[in-house]
Amino acid sequence: MDKLASLLHTTPAIAWMVAKLVIVFGGVFSLAALWTWVERRGSAMIQDRIGPNRAALFGKIKIIGLAQPLADGIKFFFKEDLVPHDANKALFWLAPFLALVPALMGFAVIPFGRSFMSGGQEYHMALLDPGNGMGLLYPLAIGGMAVYGVLVAAWSSNNKWSILGGMRASAAMVSYEIGMSLAVVTIFMTAGGYDPSEVINAQGHLPWAWNVVRQPLGFIVFFTCMFAETNRLPFDFAEGESEIVAGFNTEYGSMKFSLLALAEYCHLMTASALMATLYFGGWQVPFVQNPAVMLSVLSFLVKMLFFAWVFVWIRWTLPRFRYDQLMHLGWKVMLPLSMANLVFHAWRMSQGH
Amino acid sequence: MFITFALITLLGALGMLLQKNVVVAGLCMVAAFFGVAGLFVLLANPVAAALQIIVYTGAIMVLVLFVIMMLNSHEEEKAQVSHPVQRWLSVTLIAALAFGAVKLVLGSKGLTALAVTGAEMPQAMTLQKIGTTLFADHLLGFEVAGLVLLAAMIGAVALTKRNL
Repeated sequence: MDKLASLLHTTPAIAWMVAKLVIVFGGVFSLAALWTWVERRGSAMIQDRIGPNRAALFGKIKIIGLAQPLADGIKFFFKEDLVPHDANKALFWLAPFLALVPALMGFAVIPFGRSFMSGGQEYHMALLDPGNGMGLLYPLAIGGMAVYGVLVAAWSSNNKWSILGGMRASAAMVSYEIGMSLAVVTIFMTAGGYDPSEVINAQGHLPWAWNVVRQPLGFIVFFTCMFAETNRLPFDFAEGESEIVAGFNTEYGSMKFSLLALAEYCHLMTASALMATLYFGGWQVPFVQNPAVMLSVLSFLVKMLFFAWVFVWIRWTLPRFRYDQLMHLGWKVMLPLSMANLVFHAWRMSQGH
Repeated sequence: MFITFALITLLGALGMLLQKNVVVAGLCMVAAFFGVAGLFVLLANPVAAALQIIVYTGAIMVLVLFVIMMLNSHEEEKAQVSHPVQRWLSVTLIAALAFGAVKLVLGSKGLTALAVTGAEMPQAMTLQKIGTTLFADHLLGFEVAGLVLLAAMIGAVALTKRNL
């Protein structure tokens, strides 16, 4: 790192910051693009089809259709960019950015590997270093902002179906945020800190000491709420195709639609990373006390991509809920379960002292 | 940094006042809240910034916009009769309030604490500190606020759901 920094005429800290920015934003963005392909191939696998396998680089190199996201991207760029006549033009343009920016920002606090020492300086594998004071409140705050992308896209389209989708989605997201936050608060309590590195260190390297074993109820609540927060299928009320055309992005086409779709996949990546961090020990490698840095990054990636795959898996397995069922589940099942989890762990902690 | 966040806050607030479209006004208010959150971070209180975003922009403004969209009133209602007396009364009231607020801020101990530099700088606020402050020093106020919020919540449910 020192050599690289001196080559670029900067300090190691700045070089590392730039590297982290590229790794985190580039990584999340390209994984999100890749996951559009995984989603289509996965759905094909589950439904006993083949899925997109034709796209080839330069018409020759066909790697099981991996060039599909690239082809989709190029296609979206060259499509006609339509704005509906009665839409609110400024907000219609703003909405995809309002959706994408929080989706990308959420990942900033999550440590994707072990901190390492090099040349007498400590380097952290997260955009926001530990001890920034925001900790895991940050992804909760940024996740709350995700509603605005959907809401603004829905309203500015000036379309009945869009507005229905936007309102259903925002109501669902706000409802499920409470249960989710209470589950996260329980983790703060048992870990004795709210910084992601503290949460990871409190879990240790033994799988039976991870939060998923210690707080299975909390994990179930958090897992379910994440589907509502990311608007993924059992709860995708933002765009119930069979009910309201395509919901909030009915009027969107070309690159603006692509940004909205990518925002959803970025949320999916952040949600998977959060699950891995909070309940599955983050970058901890099972049974390895002090893993090598690359091994810890690999471990985190495996956990994160596993959950990202679970999102795809569940989408093509479960049918969509009805809206009143969703509200019933959120307020009358998830919230009490989350409360019970919180009270139970508070009681256990009070008994321990 | 301070100028940036202050400008975001002020422009957001101004936009909210001057904007005719209710939804755009709401979004301007979101921008203003963001500016305030940034100012909290500059004051070494990231927890307050996070809570500001979670509570105000993440929950309250979403519900406000939600209601605006549900009622679907895109146009501003015209006032039936204009009362100049009201306008002057409100201007004097706001001027008095602003004068009092500025005087309070200038006379507070926090202002002298801002000049402190070096090792004596106060540590950044953490969630643990806020917890101990709430439950040790301000327990009564905290409980009373919780009771008031609970009463408001039950009242809201009772008002909207008359036939439970």
